[in-house]
Amino acid sequence: MNTIKEVWHYREMIAGLVRRDLRGRYKASFLGFLWTFINPLLQLLVYTLVFSVILRSNIEQYYIHLFVALVPWIFFASSMTGGAQCILNMKDMVKKIYFPREVLPLSSSLAAFVNMLFSFIVIFIVLIVSGRGINPVACLYLPLIMIIELILQLGMTLITAGLTVYFRDLQHILGILAQAWMYLTPVVYNIKIVPKGMLPLFYLNPMTPVIQAYRDILYSKVVPDTTTLVRSVTLGVFILVVGELIFRRVQKGFAEEL
Amino acid sequence: MDNNIQENQDIMVTGPDPKKIIRTEDDRYGDVVISAYDLHKNFKIYFDKGNQLKEKLLFTKRNRYELHHVLKGLNFEIRRGEAWGLIGENGCGKSTTLKLLTRIMYPDQGEVHVAGRVSSMLELGAGFHPDMSGRENIYTNAAIFGLSRKDIDERIDDIIQFSELGKYIDNPVRTYSSGMYLRLAFSVAINVNAEILFIDEILAVGDANFQSKCFNRLREIKASGTTIVIVSHNLGQIEQICNKTLWLKDGNILAAGPPREVHPKYLQYMSQKRQETMEREQEEKKKKEAEKAAKQKAEPKKEKTAGENDAAKKWEGFKNRWGSREIEMTGITLRGDDGKPKNLFGVGENIKLTLDYKVNSPVKNADFGFGIYRGDGLHIYGTNTRIDQFKDFDISESGHMTLDLKGVNLLAGQYNVDVAIQGFDGKPIDFYKNAAGFEVYSIYRDQGTVRIDHKWDISSMDIQDETSGKDPADKEKALPDSGAEAEGERQE
Repeated sequence: MNTIKEVWHYREMIAGLVRRDLRGRYKASFLGFLWTFINPLLQLLVYTLVFSVILRSNIEQYYIHLFVALVPWIFFASSMTGGAQCILNMKDMVKKIYFPREVLPLSSSLAAFVNMLFSFIVIFIVLIVSGRGINPVACLYLPLIMIIELILQLGMTLITAGLTVYFRDLQHILGILAQAWMYLTPVVYNIKIVPKGMLPLFYLNPMTPVIQAYRDILYSKVVPDTTTLVRSVTLGVFILVVGELIFRRVQKGFAEEL
Repeated sequence: MDNNIQENQDIMVTGPDPKKIIRTEDDRYGDVVISAYDLHKNFKIYFDKGNQLKEKLLFTKRNRYELHHVLKGLNFEIRRGEAWGLIGENGCGKSTTLKLLTRIMYPDQGEVHVAGRVSSMLELGAGFHPDMSGRENIYTNAAIFGLSRKDIDERIDDIIQFSELGKYIDNPVRTYSSGMYLRLAFSVAINVNAEILFIDEILAVGDANFQSKCFNRLREIKASGTTIVIVSHNLGQIEQICNKTLWLKDGNILAAGPPREVHPKYLQYMSQKRQETMEREQEEKKKKEAEKAAKQKAEPKKEKTAGENDAAKKWEGFKNRWGSREIEMTGITLRGDDGKPKNLFGVGENIKLTLDYKVNSPVKNADFGFGIYRGDGLHIYGTNTRIDQFKDFDISESGHMTLDLKGVNLLAGQYNVDVAIQGFDGKPIDFYKNAAGFEVYSIYRDQGTVRIDHKWDISSMDIQDETSGKDPADKEKALPDSGAEAEGERQE
């Protein structure tokens, strides 16, 4: 509770770091901020080509089926692996100035989150242009599931950022880990094709209900199941609490370890 | 005075009881806002450190480390509105203490409590972004101290004005000179209106004007009730701001008390230490020179100039000693009033120089002389027995000489003493340059070379005798007239 209060106190610092992150991301590149939109569009193009020309799937409008899950997944995976560096990158400050260390993973997550929000503009455009359409009632649940994903993602970043200070190898391991994790999550396939016996195992994966909810809302255009939502909230909060507990423990040694 | 120092030496051996909590019993100050109990900190010094997983797993031997016990159980309580200075040699744990108080590091044992908004100046300008303008950096930097945008908006004008950057404030920070950079950083740190301020050795910012401005600002901050902890090697700074000095040595509190009581002890300790290293260095130098001389002897001498056979020939093994050596000085010692050898004196103390000599062959009409030089070479004083109208005397037996210097009013600094024995025509018999050295410490900040006794008489001012009521040792150290001290303060 105290941590939340303190972090809130440092909100201006968080806002500053997020701004710096977003501004710095495409700095010195010719198209600049436009890349935020071009990137997901190009990805969509690749997936459409592959899955509607070469590797045909029997899922209707498969590229949308994939795209609405892939954008949230990329946010999760990239900010978990990228966020692992956030303490190391701010080494000098961590060694010299006190501020609640949670500020760094939090602002790293938030910057990635804002980036994902921009990508969602592309998603909506694609949904409309492709004729898939939007269900406004279902979309009311979209902010909720986004917040849940952010909570889960923040929990993971706290863990990876904290541990990377001690084990620098983690940054390389994380890349592989994220890839494996993606295939264990119904991103490229539908949860329906998972054998019944393995389902409980799949639901232990905190990202499964989150991706499912996104797909329900945007692809199937239905309000997500209550069970899906409850599952995702429970797992998300659980990861965040565990992440904070680990982070609080390891952050005490940051100044000496860096 | 000497009793006083005698006591200090006792303290140096034992130190205060480690279990005792250092605190100020003075009701002018508020509640305890900073407290540390049984504070311990260890550092692991790795012989060969590896951060990679592979290294951690495969080379367990490489992870051998030495445990360095930096703090060994500090106990203190600081009350609201107090200002403490931490002093000590390098590596004594003062910066570590500050890092524990700011929660940059955490203790291995014991607890720290800090209540209130903290601003720390451990390193100025940490977190500055070179490509952003000075103004933008003020926002980000102040945000790191926990200020909201509204807070910063309120203070930005003060900060910019204090930094004296004027029109440069909107230029990118990378275009700043190092002085401008530090000024900006200091302005932010000092204007965040913290309740507790930690400062580590950073008051050497900018030019003299800016420094005194920072100092005045610090005094204002202190007067407004902010609690301050300063780590510094500059004792003068601590004396001006702090009400208490904590002297750390090897992770323990060696002494604590008003700066004016602790600092002379510290200075004495440091000069003793310096003397030890000086002696060691000199010994090594002598050894080297002796080796060199031995080598030169081994080589056949090419030519002998007349001068070398002369009376002014150099003493073997000494660079700064020459003479004809009929009489040789064998020991030169400086002593205090109690007769004990020492090399650190307060302003106005008596210095006794004792000299032992042995006679190689009797000399008629000899004289003794001495000269005092400041460390930078300024000749302060010099005379000899002949100038002083002594009757001529002959030296035929070994003996000793004592020179009493009464009330040496030299100001703080390093001094060297030349001692010489000369023949009737001024011919050097044993001329020893820098034969002895001493250091003078001062608790006042008067300026110049010597302190001249003085008295102020200002008709519109009723000057109080500040020295009354203090302990006799303190009184002795005080200026002849305490009004001078008040004047010194105002000049700042």
